[in-house]
Amino acid sequence: MTTPVYLDHAATTPVRDEVMAAMLPYFGPRFGNPSSVHRWGREARVALDEAREKLAGCLGAHPDEVCFTSGGTEGDNFAILGAFRTLRARGRIAAVTTPSEHKAILAAVHEVAREGGEERMVGVTSNGLVDDASFTRCLDERVAVASVMWVNNETGVIQDVPRLAAQVKTAGALFHTDAVQAFGKVPIDARAVPFDLLTISGHKIGAPKGIGALFIRRGTPLEPLMHGGSQDRGRRPGTENVAFAVGLATAAELLIAEHEMEGARLTRLRDSLEAALRERISDVVIHGAGAPRAPHIVNMSIPGTDAESMLMALDLRGVACSAGSACQSGSVSASHVLTAMGVPAPIANAALRLSLGCLSDEACVMRVADLLGTLSAKARGSFATAF
Amino acid sequence: MLSGPKAGDRVLVAMSGGVDSSVAAALLVEQGCDVVGVTMKLHDDGVDVPDRPCCSLDSTSDARRVCERLGVPHYVLNLADRFGQDVLDDFVREYARGRTPIPCVRCNTFTKFRDLLVKADAIDAHWIATGHYARTGVVNGSRALLRGLDPNKDQSYFLWGIERPVLDRMVLPVGHQTKPETREIARRFGLRTAEKIESQDICFVPDGNHARVLEEHLGANAPALTRGPLRLESGETVGEHEGFARYTIGQRRGLPGGFAEPMFVVDILPSERAVVIGPREALLGRGLEARELNWLSDTPAVGARVQVQVRHRAKPVPATVVRLDGDEIELALEEGVNAITPGQSLVLFDNEHVLGGGVIERGMRGSEPAVSRRVGLPILA
Repeated sequence: MTTPVYLDHAATTPVRDEVMAAMLPYFGPRFGNPSSVHRWGREARVALDEAREKLAGCLGAHPDEVCFTSGGTEGDNFAILGAFRTLRARGRIAAVTTPSEHKAILAAVHEVAREGGEERMVGVTSNGLVDDASFTRCLDERVAVASVMWVNNETGVIQDVPRLAAQVKTAGALFHTDAVQAFGKVPIDARAVPFDLLTISGHKIGAPKGIGALFIRRGTPLEPLMHGGSQDRGRRPGTENVAFAVGLATAAELLIAEHEMEGARLTRLRDSLEAALRERISDVVIHGAGAPRAPHIVNMSIPGTDAESMLMALDLRGVACSAGSACQSGSVSASHVLTAMGVPAPIANAALRLSLGCLSDEACVMRVADLLGTLSAKARGSFATAF
Repeated sequence: MLSGPKAGDRVLVAMSGGVDSSVAAALLVEQGCDVVGVTMKLHDDGVDVPDRPCCSLDSTSDARRVCERLGVPHYVLNLADRFGQDVLDDFVREYARGRTPIPCVRCNTFTKFRDLLVKADAIDAHWIATGHYARTGVVNGSRALLRGLDPNKDQSYFLWGIERPVLDRMVLPVGHQTKPETREIARRFGLRTAEKIESQDICFVPDGNHARVLEEHLGANAPALTRGPLRLESGETVGEHEGFARYTIGQRRGLPGGFAEPMFVVDILPSERAVVIGPREALLGRGLEARELNWLSDTPAVGARVQVQVRHRAKPVPATVVRLDGDEIELALEEGVNAITPGQSLVLFDNEHVLGGGVIERGMRGSEPAVSRRVGLPILA
């Protein structure tokens, strides 16, 4: 049996050893509640504050601008619903976003509409980039918040967030970006780019599942999602997850320190993967190839195949990747992101997302390219006879 | 001895999350087969009902956990689009025509043993296994479909529609045992599904209320679901009904009382929205026509004597082939059969051997054997 290949880093990553080591004391000897007045409490509080400071440093933010959350979905919901519920009183009732966002944003924007607000969808181009004219049309004095994902989780396409953020600020609305896939892949500096709200998630960068953060720019009014104690300035009540916050901060610092080298390494791997795929499968479609892309995601379709069968065949040979959006039952349906980009259904249904990261190297990338070449030849042979 | 999968052969096992398919997978693992479990997602999660024996999230989780216990991979395959076209749409159309369809037959024909076979090809699985109580064997040198050994559980009635070559790839590991034996094996393997209650409902009609599903698809004002006349065979209107799609031939429930003898639905006339009722003897049929024929054996000749079954669990009765016309057949029954219902399946047997089947177009009543009236008079639709 050949060694397994994990090419699904955009789904999740293993917790890094350094992160595990940093977290460990907070499950054991330093178990205190940060709100307690005694020494155990103080110890925990200090650890939490340090974690906040470190993470803020990684984002170019002030520590008080960092709010720990349970992850990307909470951050996205907090940003959209918090902004809408605060600003509706001032007549700003619309949420603007794109159809290629993560489900967390799409569902939150839908909730805005359900609560009496308005959802406005911006068009995207065939490369997955925001359509400028459409974006401009959606912005007016009734907009509470506009949200555009920095790096798309399915295609890796990078939006021009600095420009979009500035445009939204000019229109007087709040700008949010889901930076879950962007963190560590594109430079993020809150002092240089005028986003008001930014979501990150721990488990995509070597921290555990169940921790994330929302950057909330000073002075940004945001109605909390939950109600309770005064933790995190009342923005996020509930006893803080100290160990995971420490883990997130540790992972973030490692990420930033390694960002350049790792980015270059992933870019090389990505380029050789794509070259190898094009060599073996002449008609392979690489989605978003005409747009700037983060180096860790390759979203590709082999015409004449179906992603569901390919995922099974790959997994049975020890290769893990993903397709479309997984639904709750674990089955696959066509990606809403590719559909929004105007990709025809047969090609969208063939799309596989290969995402690189800490477990990827040249050998595994070449193995997957070889395997995909073989599978595509075989699948297209059998499809030709089946129909 | 017939050849089934050998140790090391890859077998795709269709797992609903119930005990039968769990045990099918376990038995194949025990034989040393390279088992891959799959659960088909056939309709939206939107109608998910917790604890439903199959096709729910809980059932999918059960199948996944059984596979984990057996140490084999498990996948969820989304076949909802094709299932919608081939099974659900047909179900709705048939009821709208005043007929009583069996979606499980079409699911076996088009979904499990056709679409799923394409998935099996994709993972190099020659074999496809299910938890049906039926068997494959060899008759006259060819692969054949046989009844399950447990007469209380036999499901061969639902499998007549599959393409004959599929028999060479089909594995039915529980067809040789009784349901209690299956549960016993599940306990031996420590499978969480061992005591699971059995699904009697159609998977997309979890509450047994098929009219609700029809309403969703046809609208509450569809002719099939709105009021119409309740008639006697004489043509006399004796009341009203709430939509003919709520009735099936032989049904007694929901009919008015006050007649000299119990009354049953004996006919449904969709063009007039009428439901015709009559006494028990009016249900008796001596002949029938069926269409969409499929043969799992060599086609019998006109005049051949077979046994036929017109309903799941009905007693097979001897019959003679009167007419055979492409995919249409007419049979004369040697004894009267109750409630021959358009849309249900006609399945032809030679004792244990499933010869083939079709969809019942109409039953022919009367006390005379149909053969004496019908022979040599082909009817073309």
